[in-house]
Amino acid sequence: MTQPYMCEPDIIAATENVMPDLNTDLVLAKNFLKQQSAATGDSLYDHLVDIVHKILTQKPPDVADNFEQYSWAVKQEKFRPNFDLLNDIYLSPPQLSIVRQMDDMFRLVASKSEKIDMMGEEEQELDLEEDNTKPQVADLIDHNYYFREGGYGLPASECYAVYVALKMLSIKEPVATVRFFGKIFGTKANYYVAETDLTIEELDRRIREFELKDMPGEGEDIEEKEENEGEEQKEMLGEGEVLEDKNKEPVPPKLPPVPVSTWQPPPPIPVERPGQGINKKVFWVCNVPGEPWVCLPDLTPDHVRVARLTVRCMTGDLDAEIQTFPPFDGTERHYLRAQIARIQAATSVAPQGFYTFGSGEEEDIDMEEGMGDMEFNVNPYYHGHTLKDLLDPNLTYWVHHGRHILKQGRTIWWNPMAGMEEGLEEEEDEGPPPPEPESGPTLLTPLSEDARVEGLSAWTARRSSSLAPERALAVLRSNLWPGAVAYATDGKKSECMYIGWGLKFQPPNFSPLQLPRPQDEYPVGPEVMEMADPTFADEEAYRIAHLPPPPPPELPGEGEGFGEEEEEDED
Amino acid sequence: MNIHKLWEHREYMNVNGMMLTSELISILQNSLTLLQVENHFTHVQYWGQLYAVDADYHIAVGIDNDAMLDRKYFYTTDFKFWGLLPRAKRRYKLLSLLTTFPFRGDPTLKIKILDEALEENHPDRCQVIKEESRLAGTISNICDEAEICARGQLIKQPDGTVVINPNFYGLTGSEAKQLKSYLHIRPSQQRWNTNLLSRQDYNYSMDFLDSIDQDIPSGCWNLSLEQGGSVAYLKSLYWPGMTYFHKARTPDCGFLYVGNGRKNLDVPFLL
Repeated sequence: MTQPYMCEPDIIAATENVMPDLNTDLVLAKNFLKQQSAATGDSLYDHLVDIVHKILTQKPPDVADNFEQYSWAVKQEKFRPNFDLLNDIYLSPPQLSIVRQMDDMFRLVASKSEKIDMMGEEEQELDLEEDNTKPQVADLIDHNYYFREGGYGLPASECYAVYVALKMLSIKEPVATVRFFGKIFGTKANYYVAETDLTIEELDRRIREFELKDMPGEGEDIEEKEENEGEEQKEMLGEGEVLEDKNKEPVPPKLPPVPVSTWQPPPPIPVERPGQGINKKVFWVCNVPGEPWVCLPDLTPDHVRVARLTVRCMTGDLDAEIQTFPPFDGTERHYLRAQIARIQAATSVAPQGFYTFGSGEEEDIDMEEGMGDMEFNVNPYYHGHTLKDLLDPNLTYWVHHGRHILKQGRTIWWNPMAGMEEGLEEEEDEGPPPPEPESGPTLLTPLSEDARVEGLSAWTARRSSSLAPERALAVLRSNLWPGAVAYATDGKKSECMYIGWGLKFQPPNFSPLQLPRPQDEYPVGPEVMEMADPTFADEEAYRIAHLPPPPPPELPGEGEGFGEEEEEDED
Repeated sequence: MNIHKLWEHREYMNVNGMMLTSELISILQNSLTLLQVENHFTHVQYWGQLYAVDADYHIAVGIDNDAMLDRKYFYTTDFKFWGLLPRAKRRYKLLSLLTTFPFRGDPTLKIKILDEALEENHPDRCQVIKEESRLAGTISNICDEAEICARGQLIKQPDGTVVINPNFYGLTGSEAKQLKSYLHIRPSQQRWNTNLLSRQDYNYSMDFLDSIDQDIPSGCWNLSLEQGGSVAYLKSLYWPGMTYFHKARTPDCGFLYVGNGRKNLDVPFLL
């Protein structure tokens, strides 16, 4: 077909015999553009007007390339209802709830500092004396500055809020020193963790509570349980007798006695008292700086043991259930406390000489208890090391100041045989030999002695800056607990911090603890051993071997009877 | 992260304990701008850092015409020389998942990888690859599984090329709280219309990628809102160290990976 293409107006003109005219063309075209679409009731004409209007007012670059985008945006705007015009509802910004909490915190801290100002003018001398009792808050802002120089740390906005929150903690709670431990991510919320020492009075109170609660309590519980079990068994027996009396006719089969478990749980490892070992520090957590701080409970050795065998993410809810194997006795607050203790034990590092052991007298006392619980203090004579020493890949200039947690889940070894020693002597060495005391690396051991992870040393040291060496500082990151970092300047500053998931790096991957093998129900003897089924050849051989002997040829009359008798005998 | 916005975005990234130091940003902006000019890239992004024993690797991405298929990855340890990473073959990707030891920091190093799933005497049981290839494989794995963008950040043009949307205004506050609004930057692995069918306000130019809410298991992405709910952070549990942030109602967003390049295989136990 070679007809020339005809436009619509041309066709109209041709049919109506009207000469094509610019005005009518325009009107026709406009009419077409103003046709409302059946689905939305919109017309292309309005839409184009809107687009052109939007483009001319906003003057964006490269309109031709992104024209589709604009068209889409204009259409979208049309369907966005404007609630403000219809009803005057004020939607408060989402930050409101947090702002309220922060506001309370700021008010509290501000009022406290005002009070101190008032006091300060009148009783300056008294204040100096009281300095010892005033809680010491570690200068997080200063430390965070150095962490940020090193490539880690908290953002400025969070850092200040956390610092004020730490001050609030020191005002509200009976604590002597406060330090920011770190931040632990959770799936729903994060935890900010503060590490504190309690005041002497509070510590005494807790120790008294601990002794009242644990020492006599546990023994009673066990005894009660045993008694209950005994009673239950008696009841069972009693019921059995009654039944026998009632139904005499069908004699019930004689049941063997219910087997009594001979397994005895290993003696529970005693909890370390508050202010000692793994419970030396008290940890407080909150989800958002400004929320009230929640004190984490003291740690038991069992929690450490289970936490070592499992991996789990924090959820952000302290009362969340922990579902693990082996079972964990407690909620997420106990689990969090266990993880914090493990992280603290493994990743508290400082340059050599930063901390020193306490004065001579204290050492003598502590030596008796064991090396695990020695006191140490900040060394006032520490002068710092050169960066070259601190960055030495052998890391001999860095030492641990976290107490090593033994396999028992305590830092001070507890002798399970201590109570039984007298009894054992009488029984003449029937029991197992006394266990060797577990011992870990002592306090202030150099990092060079840390175990390596898959050919990688447990820590990596980096210099923070190469262009400005005079401002550089040494940054140490842990490969074992990803997220744990420490810094040290060549001056007197050093600190460590943890920001991470609270998960240990376990190459190649975590493998859950296997279920123990089921116990044998009965001794394995020949009567319960499995044997191979006899084959046809075996059976045939047996049959041939046991065939009746051929009947004697004489005495045919009596032969049958004789034969039958013999067969019966064989069977 | 777009290298020309590193100064603005460093505070957002810091929330997860990682800080881009001033020196790092200064050096990156310098050397990456030079790299951009040399290679005529339209965009250059800082991708992240991989920990190694001797010197850490820093990775950058150059984007030319197509923001999805035309990505070139560069690595460096000293910021002076950026080496082009080879295209990750399937073999490299598989082998890099099997390696257990850390990166050394020397791209020419030859490493032996033992595939314990194969029988003894199998010729492929012990394979030798260069660390550069392992790096390429690792990064390709991370990109496939963890590199993401907000919906609308990448758009597909009518001619099929994918470009970074210059008119991206950000997600709304409620959209930013949904995993459905974040998409994998990788050629779609599901049927092309999966994403279109599962949302009402579908858009052919935006919903051509896989959304991350379909990843298995369902908790493997961690979405958290900080700063009063105005900034959304996404962290992958599979690749610890990966972070994506997006400030709602602004075009500010960025991806960063800082880690040791090891996939966390324990995710099913964590949840």
